[in-house]
Amino acid sequence: MAERFDVRRQRGFSLVAALCFALLYLPIAVLVVFAFNAGPSVARWEGVSLVWFEKAMANEAVVEAALRSLTIASFAAVCATVLATLAALATTRVARPYRGLALKYTLINQPLVVPEIVTAVALLIVFARVKVWTGYSGLGYLLLAHTAFCIPFAYLPIRARLESMDLTLERAAADLYATPWRTFVHVTLPLLRPAILAGATLAFVISLDDVVITEFVKSGGQDTLPTWMLGQIRRSTSPEMNAISTGFLAISVVVVVVFFLSSRKRA
Amino acid sequence: MTTSRILPLVAATLLATSAGAALAAGELQIYNWGNYTSPELIEKFEKTYDVKVTITDYDSNDTALAKVRQGGHGFDIAMPSHNYLPIWIAEGLVLETDPGSMENFGNVAPEWRDPEFDPGRRFSVPWAWGTVGVVVDTDDYKGDINTWKVVFDPPEELKGRINIVPEMNDVIYAAIKYHGGKNCDGDLEVLKKVRDTLVAAKPHWVAMEYNTIDKMVAGDFAATTDWNGSALRQRLQKPSINYGYPVEGFAYWSDNVVVLKDAKNVENARLFQNFVMDPENAAMISAFNRYANGISGSEAYMPDDMKDAPEVVVPEAFRGNAEFSRTCPPEVQDLYTRIWTDLQK
Repeated sequence: MAERFDVRRQRGFSLVAALCFALLYLPIAVLVVFAFNAGPSVARWEGVSLVWFEKAMANEAVVEAALRSLTIASFAAVCATVLATLAALATTRVARPYRGLALKYTLINQPLVVPEIVTAVALLIVFARVKVWTGYSGLGYLLLAHTAFCIPFAYLPIRARLESMDLTLERAAADLYATPWRTFVHVTLPLLRPAILAGATLAFVISLDDVVITEFVKSGGQDTLPTWMLGQIRRSTSPEMNAISTGFLAISVVVVVVFFLSSRKRA
Repeated sequence: MTTSRILPLVAATLLATSAGAALAAGELQIYNWGNYTSPELIEKFEKTYDVKVTITDYDSNDTALAKVRQGGHGFDIAMPSHNYLPIWIAEGLVLETDPGSMENFGNVAPEWRDPEFDPGRRFSVPWAWGTVGVVVDTDDYKGDINTWKVVFDPPEELKGRINIVPEMNDVIYAAIKYHGGKNCDGDLEVLKKVRDTLVAAKPHWVAMEYNTIDKMVAGDFAATTDWNGSALRQRLQKPSINYGYPVEGFAYWSDNVVVLKDAKNVENARLFQNFVMDPENAAMISAFNRYANGISGSEAYMPDDMKDAPEVVVPEAFRGNAEFSRTCPPEVQDLYTRIWTDLQK
């Protein structure tokens, strides 16, 4: 009898996998390694040192931009996740799919489909008007924009989880005279917790990464870490940029790892 | 993320951004290219006039123009390049501050007083200027480097080790000059030669990218087209790297300080325009971004490695070969784009 089909045994599979991993991780590895370079080059190695990290930490612009990025990402992640949870409940807790449900999915996921530059230009035009009318040019615009484009990223895992949970438990709670609110708090929400955390993590990282929309929406003194970095690299690159990137990468990795550990404990 | 962890963070950031503003009497919002504004210059301006300056970065003329055009941006000052400045003026985006009547205008070098992109300096003040030429490692090639031939019809030693900085207008301009043509006149005869030259030269190039400093110093490239400030940084790291001013003709560029029409802090913005025309202050700009500034007398305050640097001070003999790069009419620009597309194939 022929061997059982196993995708891992297919010819060339390991090669393709290795190539993918190399493409994904080699450039990042090189970037991280040169963050520790003692010399001023991002191409020639001159020994190990932490001077570029010290320089980056002492750079007020970097620290300010990083704090701003974290503030925006935290706010956007919380708001987007709350909204996405509500949207997911509304679009899945129905007895039977109805006409227009698919349309609602599409509308909620709009930011995934519309090219980012289109959203950015549209927001630029609208917010410019609003800024002129109201005279307000604070962080609110970035918070709103980030919350909006983070919603689908929070929505997708929550909806997936809700779709795999049938209505049995909630019906049982209702049969036992639980109010809809108590049912939600004591039955639905605990079951949803891992998905909500996953959604929030994803939203946080997506907000942290954003360049295009932020570049167009930001007002004076509102550079985030990515837009600040974009402004720097065109003129010259030094290992300071590698050090900042490495720190940035570390934040993203830590957020994802913390999420992973916390969701494993509960599972 | 729980709210208890986020709130202190938000509070800390809000405090950090508002505390500074409360101390100074005035405000100034500068919108400039990233990595281009000397922190010492800003500190001095803040101290002198008791003004809190906020700097925001942009990454291209197009982004800056798009945002300022829409209004509501909140910026007072921007630094458009010379080839974009006429658009800003024509669209009424900049305020006619008449820098010519300002106290420090007398310091502006004669050749920068009446530039074609802002006749009579009605709107703008010089910030930085430079040239586009060729950079060659003279350890690798001993011949004449003051010619575009180095990259368009390269000698044996340089073949396969040449980089071209992928700025369409700069590259096509260079090739037009190489064939003795005139920029922007759309002469098809010349443009045909330009295309043939570029396509024929391409196999001798190893790359078309911006990251020239490291790769020249490391020896990955032996020659590249480049901006002069970048060339200076390379020579300081490796003395055999030299900058050539092509005899066929090369281009000047410049970035200029303008006050925006919807600026909220017009008086501070005017003060800033006057401030950067002071030789000592202009030298701070140059010391940071490594380009010349167009202010006479600033040489005295320049860092030693820039005072007589051939990359910054254009040698007398080559000055006659220079002209301003500009943005050509759309129909000519279309031809350039077609050549550029052919080149990318």
